[in-house]
Amino acid sequence: MTAKTRVMKEYKEISRSQADEAIELLPDERNILLWKGLIKGPQESPYEGHIFELGIKVPDSYPLAPPAVHFVTKIFHPNVHFKTGEICLDILKTSWSPAWTLQAVCRAVLALLSAPAPDSPLNCDAGNLLRAQDMRGYSSMARMYATRLAAMPQGSSIVEQPHPSSLNTFKEDH
Amino acid sequence: MAEPEAMDVDVEKQPEEEAVRDKKGKGKASKRFEIKKWNAVAMWSWAICTDTCAICRNNLYEPSIEYQANPTGDPDHPGLSIAWGVCGHVFHLDCIQRWLKTRSACPLCNKEWEFAKIEKILPGGGSMGVE
Ligand SMILES: [Zn+2]
Ligand SMILES: [Zn+2]
Repeated sequence: MTAKTRVMKEYKEISRSQADEAIELLPDERNILLWKGLIKGPQESPYEGHIFELGIKVPDSYPLAPPAVHFVTKIFHPNVHFKTGEICLDILKTSWSPAWTLQAVCRAVLALLSAPAPDSPLNCDAGNLLRAQDMRGYSSMARMYATRLAAMPQGSSIVEQPHPSSLNTFKEDH
Repeated sequence: MAEPEAMDVDVEKQPEEEAVRDKKGKGKASKRFEIKKWNAVAMWSWAICTDTCAICRNNLYEPSIEYQANPTGDPDHPGLSIAWGVCGHVFHLDCIQRWLKTRSACPLCNKEWEFAKIEKILPGGGSMGVE
């Protein structure tokens, strides 16, 4: 019941200080517990130059329980399930802390894009390439999928970028 | 951060009547007034740096989100108190109590949580336990 109040506070904090230009967080118009996160592929990663959409579902027990986060945009990454978009990230599971915010969660996902952890792969192909130290193979696969499936920003801000793929996938893509 | 040092002093010397589950809280009665001043200084520096409860994100001088959503008028409600851990981090008492049911670790530093002190938020948003 306090989840909505807490998330509203985050919403106000975000709109006051769009601090992180690599992250854009947009609540669903009708349900403050459903969010869309747009994250910019980190520099020097194969995801650079592309934008990935996250679906974020805030549970009623938030922030005592973590939000459910998945990739809406398909992504080739060892810790993301290619079909479902499920993310293997400890802070979304056992290491969750109620001091985290949705923005901090997006930052953690960005960190995961920069530093994949091939030992707990949800995408075995990506994990195997990394474990075989085949950085070139992994990077070119990741870049190829990003080019095919992720949006590209226009100009420096990701705010203006329309997301044709993102509008109807929020609830369906589970 | 400089605060943990201030907290150490605070925890070790705090007056007994303010200590909650504080093993070290057996301060000598003769030192009590100086100690209270120390408390004031320590808490003031705390107030500047950490004025927000990281769990509900309300100011620590106002009640917790939970209490605001459901104000009982009971002055002993845990949403009207703030709690310090031995690690030096501060939250509303009800916020940290609810989290401890999930995991007994500080939400900010992940250290095993142990209460150092609990104080009531004074009406009007002042500091607590100070002359
Ligand atoms: Zn709180
Ligand atoms: Zn702590």
